[in-house]
Amino acid sequence: MEQLSGIINYIVYFAITAGTYGILSLGLNIQWGNTGLFNIGIAGFYALGAYTSALVSGPPPSAWDGRIFGGFELPFIFGLLAAAIVSGFVAFLIGVPTLRLKADYLGIATIGIAESIRLVLKNESWLTNGVWGLQQLPSPLYTSIHGGTKELLQQHTALPGWLHDLVANSYNWFYLLLVLGILFILYLIVEKLTRSPWGRVLKAIREDEDSAAMSGKNTFSFKLQAFVLGAMIMGIGGSLYAHYARFISPASFKPLYGTFIVWVMLILGGSGNNKGAILGSFVVWGIWAGTDFLTGYLPFSATQAASIRVIIIGILLEVVLLWRPQGLLRRERRSKTFL
Amino acid sequence: MDILARIPQLLVYGIISGSILSLGGIGVSLTYSILGFANFAHGDIMALGAYITLGLFTLLGGWGLPNTPFAPLSFGLSFILAAILSMGLTGGCMILLDRVLFKHLRRAGSIILMMASIGIALGLRNILQFFWGPQPHYYIEGIQIATRIPALGIRIKPDQVFIICTAILLVVLLHVFLQHTKIGKAMRATADNMDLSRVTGINTDRVILWTGVIGAALATAAGVLAGIENKFITPELGWQMLLSIFASVVLGGLGNIYGAIVGGMVIGISEEISTAFVSTGYKPAIAFIIMVVMLLIKPAGLLGKGK
Amino acid sequence: MPLLGVEQVTSGYGEMEVLHGVSIEVNSGEIVSIIGPNGAGKSTLMKTIFGLLCPDAGTISFRGNDITGLNPDRVVRQGMAYVPQVENVFPSLTAHENLEMGAFIRQDDFRERIGEIYELFPLLKKRKKQRVGKMSGGERQMVAMGRALMLDPQLLLLDEPSAALAPNLAEMIFDRIITINKTGVAILIVEQNAKQSLRLADQGYVLAGGRRRFADTGKNLLANEEVGRLYLGG
Repeated sequence: MEQLSGIINYIVYFAITAGTYGILSLGLNIQWGNTGLFNIGIAGFYALGAYTSALVSGPPPSAWDGRIFGGFELPFIFGLLAAAIVSGFVAFLIGVPTLRLKADYLGIATIGIAESIRLVLKNESWLTNGVWGLQQLPSPLYTSIHGGTKELLQQHTALPGWLHDLVANSYNWFYLLLVLGILFILYLIVEKLTRSPWGRVLKAIREDEDSAAMSGKNTFSFKLQAFVLGAMIMGIGGSLYAHYARFISPASFKPLYGTFIVWVMLILGGSGNNKGAILGSFVVWGIWAGTDFLTGYLPFSATQAASIRVIIIGILLEVVLLWRPQGLLRRERRSKTFL
Repeated sequence: MDILARIPQLLVYGIISGSILSLGGIGVSLTYSILGFANFAHGDIMALGAYITLGLFTLLGGWGLPNTPFAPLSFGLSFILAAILSMGLTGGCMILLDRVLFKHLRRAGSIILMMASIGIALGLRNILQFFWGPQPHYYIEGIQIATRIPALGIRIKPDQVFIICTAILLVVLLHVFLQHTKIGKAMRATADNMDLSRVTGINTDRVILWTGVIGAALATAAGVLAGIENKFITPELGWQMLLSIFASVVLGGLGNIYGAIVGGMVIGISEEISTAFVSTGYKPAIAFIIMVVMLLIKPAGLLGKGK
Repeated sequence: MPLLGVEQVTSGYGEMEVLHGVSIEVNSGEIVSIIGPNGAGKSTLMKTIFGLLCPDAGTISFRGNDITGLNPDRVVRQGMAYVPQVENVFPSLTAHENLEMGAFIRQDDFRERIGEIYELFPLLKKRKKQRVGKMSGGERQMVAMGRALMLDPQLLLLDEPSAALAPNLAEMIFDRIITINKTGVAILIVEQNAKQSLRLADQGYVLAGGRRRFADTGKNLLANEEVGRLYLGG
C-alpha cells in the first residue's frame, strides 16, 4: 500500500510536467500544425514566460542576489498574464522580419532568438540574477493549502500511512488540477479557433500559401497572428513551470528540454490535431520518464545514462518521421471548405 | 583610444574564427543548395570529426607513429594524418546517415528534413558524450608563445597561422573542384536545378553523396581547427558554433558557397570586434543580430541572386 | 514499329488527372507536332513520356523497349532528350559548361560534338564563357537545345521552344529545328505557335481537355476547317 501511494504521488508529479508540456505542444500546434510555421525556439518563449512570471509574481531581490530589479509579488494570475503578453510581444518582434521568408529562415531565426534570450538571462544579472537564477518563487495558494493540510493531518493522526502520504501531497494534487484546468481551457480556445474561418485560413496557408495569398488573404498578417498566439500559450506554459519548480535558471531552458522534446511530442501525437498534441506530450514524457528507470538498471554513469535517454528520444523521432509521419492521431481532414 | 588600439589584434582573432566559420558554413550552404534544407546536424558533424580525429590520433600514437611537433607548430605528423583520415571517415558517416535516413525523407520536404537533422544533431552530440563524457578533452599540449609583429600591432601564434593557411588551402581546393572537375560542375548544375539535372542524365544520387562527403570533410576540418585554436574539444563544440555558422551562411546568401566564405569572415570579424564593446558572452547574439538585419535589408544575402 | 509509341496514357499531378487515355506515335526521322489550347495537357504529356511524371495507366515504348515509369536519368540513356519549356538551362554555369553537362553520361571524347553544336548555333561559340543566367531568352533556348543534342539523341522533345521569343528569333529556332531534323533526329514538338509548327510537321495531333481530338498529317490539319476554326484562330 505504501508503495502504491508512492506510485500515485509520482504519477501526479508526472502528470503536472506532462500537462505543462501539453500546453507547449498545443502552442506549437497552432504555429506548426495549423499554419506550417517552423518554430524551433520554443525554449526561448518558454523561458520568457517563466522569467516574466517570476519577476511579476516573485519576491524582490534578496540580500544575496545579484539582481536589483523585479519581484513585485503580484498575485499569480498577473504573472501568468504578463508571461503570455511578453512572450507574444517578443514573437511579434521576431515575426515581423522573418515570417515573410521561407521556413528555413524562420527556423534559423527562432533558434537564434532562443539562444539570444538564454544569453540575456545568463548575462544580465541585474534583472535575472545570471546563472544563479531566480529562487524561492511562490506557488499559488501554497501557504493556505499546505498549511490547511498540515493542520488536517495533525487532527487525524490515526490515518493509515498510505492515505497520509496521499493527503500530504495535497498541493501537488491542486497544482495538477490547475495545470490540467488551464490546459483544458486552452484546448477549448484553440480548438474553437482552428475550426473558425480564421483557422481555415491558417490551414490554407499551410497547404499552399501562394493560392491562399491569391485568393486575397493577407497571409503575412495571419501568420503573424498564429505565431504570436502560439508564443503566448508557450509563455503560459513557462509561467506554470516557474511557479511549480519554484526555482528557474538559464540551465532550465536548454534547447533539448524546451524545444526538441516538444517537437517530438507534437510530431508523435499528430501535428495539426490538438488532441494529438496533448496525447503526444503525455506519451513522450512517459517514454522519457520510463527511460530514466530503464537506464538506472544499466551499468552506466549518470551522464552516460542521460545521453542514452536523449539518443532514444532522437531515434524515436526519426522512426516516427520515417514510418508514421502523420503521428498517432491524424489531422482531422475536412472537406475542401476553403479555396 | 584604448579600444582602437585593440582593433588590429581583434581583427586577427576575427580572421581566425572566420576561417573556421567559413569551412563550417560551406557544408551548410552546399547541403542547402543541393537538397534544399538547413542542416542543423552540421555543427555536431564538426564535433564528430574532431572526436574521430582525437580517437585516430590516440590509435596512431599506440602504433608508435611519431608525433614530434613540426616546429614551430605544436602538433606533428600523426595528428595531421589523423585529421585527414577523419575527414574521410566523417564523410563516410555522412553517407551512412544519408542512406539510412535522409534519402527516405527527401520526398517529405525540406521542413521534415530539418526536423530529422535536429534529431541527428542531438543524437550525435549524445553519442560523443556517451563515449567521451561531457568534460573537455585536451587536443594540443603545451603552451605556445605568440609572435609579436610590432609594425601591425598584433601578436599571432604559429598554430593560428596554420589555421588560416589550412582554411585558404581547402577553399582553393574546393574552388578548383567545383570549377574544373566533372562532378564539381555537376554539383553546381544540380544546385541550379535538380529536375533539369536528372533530365540531362546527371546522376543526382552521386552528386548528393559527394555533397555530403565534401560538407562533412570540411566540417571535420573546421572542428579540428577549432580544437587547435581552443586547445580542447567538448561534445558541444559544434552546437556552440552553429548559430554563428547559420548567420554566416544567411549573410552570404543561403545556398551560395562563396557567400558562405564571405559571410563567415564578416561574422567572425564582427563577433571579435564586438568584444571591445559588449560582454564576450554575447558573441552568438551579435551574429544573430547581423543576420536579422541582413534578412530585413536583403533576404537573399550579400552574394545572393534574390529570387 | 514506331520510334516512340504512347498508348492510352492517363497521367496527372497527384490526384488531379490531366491526361485521359492519350495515344500518339512518332516514327524515326519525323517531326511530330502537338497543338492545343492552354491546359490541354501538352506539357503533361511531355513530362510523362520523359518519366518526370509516372502514368497511372497506359504504356510508353521507345525503340521497341517499354519505358513506362522509367526515371528521367534512365530515359535519357535510351537516346531521347528533352527541353522543358521553362528553367531549361543551368543559369550559374557558362554556355560551354551547360553543353558539357549535356554530355554527362558520355564516356567518349565529345569535343567534336560540341563543335557541331557551335556550328548549329554560332552565337553560342562567341558566348561560350558567359554565364547563361545573363543571356537573353533566345540565347538560352539555343543553350537548352544544344545541351539536349549533346547525346546525339534519336528523338528530341521540345516543349514550346518559341514561347516568349521575338518573331525573328522564333523563326530562327524553327529553322534550326528543321536543320536538326535533317541530321536524322526525330522531333516531338509542343507549340502555342500552332500554324508554324504544323507547317513543318510530318504528323500532327490536336490535344484538348486531356484527350486527343485530331490526328493527321500536318498539312491536312492545317487544311482542316474545324481545326482551323477551333484551334488555329480562324
